[in-house]
Amino acid sequence: MRLRLKTLAPWLASVLGAMFVVWAIIGSLQADDRVTIRGNYYREVSTRVLQPLVIVHKDVPDERLTIGASYMLDAISSASIAAGAAAVTGGDNVFTEIRHETTATVASRLPNWTLGGFFRYSTESDYISRSFGFSVARDLFQRAGTLSVAYSANLDRTFQIRQSFRDTVPWTSADPDDPDATNLVQIHYLSLGYSHALHRTLLAGAVLEGIYATGPQDNPYRRIDGALNESHPHLRRRLAMTGFLRWAVLKAHMVVEPRYRFYHDDWGITAHAIDPRIHFRVAKHLRLRLRYRFYHQTKAYFFLPMDERPYPADAEYISADPKMSRFLSHTPGLQLVVELDGLARYNRLKWLRGAFIEATYNHVFQTNRFGAARLGNLTLSIPF
Amino acid sequence: MRATYALIALLLAGSALTGCATVRPSEREVLSRPEMNPADDLEEEIFHSHVEAAREGAFGGHGAAGGGCGCG
Repeated sequence: MRLRLKTLAPWLASVLGAMFVVWAIIGSLQADDRVTIRGNYYREVSTRVLQPLVIVHKDVPDERLTIGASYMLDAISSASIAAGAAAVTGGDNVFTEIRHETTATVASRLPNWTLGGFFRYSTESDYISRSFGFSVARDLFQRAGTLSVAYSANLDRTFQIRQSFRDTVPWTSADPDDPDATNLVQIHYLSLGYSHALHRTLLAGAVLEGIYATGPQDNPYRRIDGALNESHPHLRRRLAMTGFLRWAVLKAHMVVEPRYRFYHDDWGITAHAIDPRIHFRVAKHLRLRLRYRFYHQTKAYFFLPMDERPYPADAEYISADPKMSRFLSHTPGLQLVVELDGLARYNRLKWLRGAFIEATYNHVFQTNRFGAARLGNLTLSIPF
Repeated sequence: MRATYALIALLLAGSALTGCATVRPSEREVLSRPEMNPADDLEEEIFHSHVEAAREGAFGGHGAAGGGCGCG
């Protein structure tokens, strides 16, 4: 998802979202035939994102073969744009850009094995993204543990808008005379995960994830000090390690979920995310989840804070991207899930057995120039 | 990097320890509840991974294949 036109590397957010499809394929196999309608919402000072999404999964004829499809619309409204694109839109006005994303999935649940694959196509005015991936999961120890491997790749093309949304040129982030310059962004993602039931009330898991990315990874529109184009390295190697527990405290009708992620990359960013959650069974068909996330990251080695600029004339890489800066954030959030099984006891509403409504709200307080943000979503999921 | 190595060692040790414990299928009633299933939150996790990728320099931490409950 591009949260703000012309201030984000357009392909990057979509790329990172695609990786998790490989996990979602496995998750979808734990349900029956199902249609899910979801609306995501994001709001910060100058940007609003509305994101309707429809997902369908169907066994043909049973869990040995499950196919799925989804369609998502990303409507990004921005109150202002970065310098360099003013000529395109007429200046500092509210405008909306649309992104379309379609995904097809296939999966198979066999004794002790789960296999999955996907293809995703996403497009908007200045980038085209194609991604695919597969995953393999093996149940171990009488299905007390699950070992998973997932791989996905993105082959994306990025462009720069000139005089109008239909007037674009490939963006290479390189010397125009360089014969090797390309607007192809390749991202390879590999993950290894393991989860295990340690006790009848305790589940533990760990995930190791890596990314190898090549191609232009800066923003075609972002200028620095009003003059220079942003320039980031064309190669990035990234590593993330996550550990989590889920512990059911039976007397309190709750599940405690401590979660921690460590991240490091060769651009010099090291990050920690502590994300504990508590799930309550408030009533027979009502669940509440409370969440607090603390996030901290160091800056990229080439990034200069405002008080240390301007960049030297011979600087190889320059950036004004807030994501490259040192900052921290706090995110409290809550989620309500209403299971509709209670209504299914009525004859005319039997089709609601297994259906649920989910509502989530998160508020982000952060120390970079993006400022505070609000995230919400509303979901209706119905088996058929 | 020392912290990285310590974390890797911790994960390996954890993996080794978990391999020694097995909960019988008849004892997995609690583990099969939705709130105990990591895969139950995946759509929500995908949304958060989108947002964090657009606003943070890091990635990851949202994938989990679930399992362990024998309820798949």
